[in-house]
Amino acid sequence: MMTDRVIFVCTLIIAAVYFYATTLIPSLEIGDPLGPKAFPRLLGGFLLIAAGLLFLEMWKERKQRTPQIDSDEAGIWRHGWVIVGVSVWTGIYYLAFERLGYILATAVYLLALMAWFNRGKWVANVLTAALFGVLSYLMFVKLDVNLPRGLAAFSWISDGVLAVVNAVINVIKSIRASF
Amino acid sequence: METLTHILNGFSVCLQPINLWYTFLGCFLGTVIGVLPGIGPSAGIALLIPVTYGMNPTSALIMMSGIFYGARYGGSTTAILINTPGEASSVMTTIDGYQMAKKGRAGAALATSAVASFIAGTLGVVGLTLFAVPLSTMALKFGPAEYFTLMFFAMTAVSSLAGKSPAKAMISTVLGLMIATIGIDLQSGQPRYTMGVPELQDGVGFVIAVVGLFAIAEVFITMEDMTKGVRSEIIRLKGRLWFTKDEWNRSLMPMFRGGIVGFVIGVLPGAGGTIASIMSYIWEKRMSKHPEEFGKGAIEGVAGPEAANNADTAGAMVPLLTLGIPGGGATAVMLGAFIMYGIQPGPLLFQNRPDLVWGLIDSMYIGNIMLLILNLPLIGIFVRLLYIPSGILMPLILAISTIGIYAINGNPVELYFGLVFGVIGYVFRKVDIPLAPMVLSLVLGGIMEQSFRQAMTISGANPKIFVGSPICITLVALSVLSILLPFLLPRLKAWRDGSRDTA
Repeated sequence: MMTDRVIFVCTLIIAAVYFYATTLIPSLEIGDPLGPKAFPRLLGGFLLIAAGLLFLEMWKERKQRTPQIDSDEAGIWRHGWVIVGVSVWTGIYYLAFERLGYILATAVYLLALMAWFNRGKWVANVLTAALFGVLSYLMFVKLDVNLPRGLAAFSWISDGVLAVVNAVINVIKSIRASF
Repeated sequence: METLTHILNGFSVCLQPINLWYTFLGCFLGTVIGVLPGIGPSAGIALLIPVTYGMNPTSALIMMSGIFYGARYGGSTTAILINTPGEASSVMTTIDGYQMAKKGRAGAALATSAVASFIAGTLGVVGLTLFAVPLSTMALKFGPAEYFTLMFFAMTAVSSLAGKSPAKAMISTVLGLMIATIGIDLQSGQPRYTMGVPELQDGVGFVIAVVGLFAIAEVFITMEDMTKGVRSEIIRLKGRLWFTKDEWNRSLMPMFRGGIVGFVIGVLPGAGGTIASIMSYIWEKRMSKHPEEFGKGAIEGVAGPEAANNADTAGAMVPLLTLGIPGGGATAVMLGAFIMYGIQPGPLLFQNRPDLVWGLIDSMYIGNIMLLILNLPLIGIFVRLLYIPSGILMPLILAISTIGIYAINGNPVELYFGLVFGVIGYVFRKVDIPLAPMVLSLVLGGIMEQSFRQAMTISGANPKIFVGSPICITLVALSVLSILLPFLLPRLKAWRDGSRDTA
């Protein structure tokens, strides 16, 4: 019930903000009888209708509801702090992504998360984090997808990995060629 | 007949070694994605789009559809062995499948679901083959007004069928449409809702939205479950991976019935594999001579829903390929992929690129055969995957999502967009707002507005154009029906139950 009321209010707020932002769109209205604001206005209207429907549903539910113990409404958010933590850590990962380079940033990111969610299994966590970082970097470079090398102090990690792999491939090629 | 030539030609396309490889890769990845919790086919396909940029579009689409229907095969494995649906549409399989597993009949359940999926999946592709040409010919008569009313119908259908609250589904749909309006309006060149952020000028990429809403949000939910201490017991697979003659006899008709239900529901935009499997379960329970067995390990409860959710994939491809309207979340992502490759699905696709579309459809026959093999003798490989600790898997999925988003434009700002969508998706899941309508409307939003404005331009701003042709009127009527359905259904049920009591 409570969450539905919050959704209802948020929907109205979003509709209001959207309508306001629509007025900020400059209008030329050459040729096109509707212009860039027409469809958004329709959408705003539909959102209000949807809010109205939600209100009807809440009202119907209130009529039908027997006064039992309410479902634990606030309780569904009890573990939300974990997600806040993960989101913040992910945000930090994104901040550092280009500066530290893909391999280092990803390895550190994964290690912290695994240390939290897969506690105690240090060997598996460290191995997975490091190997994933390196192997996925190699795979995506092969696929022509651009992942950050890292700036200044950290690019040696990515360059080093690539250099080692290329050297190994050349060695294998020359062994095969000598047969 | 020209179509027959195209169909046979399609086989020559999909039997090329490179396309056979991509069919296999798609089916394999699809099964893995179906087995693994925390990632589904929509997110999987979205993550692959940047990787497929350099590829031949036919091969890329063959792989993506392989992931789509392959995931329906894989989802039943977790449903039966861990009582957790690996994929939303396998939810009904958990009911009787897990019970069968507890009684030591896990092998039979897995085999039945694989065979049911194969039979219904193949029959579904036959249905797709039969319906494709007549529907695409009819679609040639579609003008902007018809397309708009079709998309409108798709949205109303999604809103009424997605979940318990049509109001919340409608909110989700309209929000998706609103997000689709962000960016520079193509017809007038005016920026809308860009708030001074240059990355928003091209709008919000749907790949970012899908990865955020489905992959990242799903990981958040799973991480939350882990924190709550939700634990699932994996049943060891022992005994033969096959069923008894009696079980086969009992499953046969449910497989066919499930296939029909699944295909029909798949064609409907908005209704997806979950609804197909639920309806099949209900039908089987009603048809059964021993309805009390359902819930305790009735094999019909596995055969029917599994057949339904596979036939649904073929059905969902029908509107996607013939009309350019996705049937659900994963096909919406595939539509986005089509657009990215510069291909417009719809009647023109059948005319201009029969090699692509028939190569794709014919690859589904091959794919179903491959999946039968992957899911029967080779199922051990996938069962191993279930033993990977979630604590390792979830962070990996987040990292893969990051790569997927970054790979599009190399712009870290888009990573933040993805994270925002991830949080939105998480919040929506917690408050029971369905996500599929939002993805559907995000992908269709731009086209929908274009059609609307084109139609209005043709008619000189006269809205009567939307009821101007028989197709439009039919679609508008269907839309009204689907809006009213959630209100009518409870009354219909009460009326029918009431008349049954008096009978």
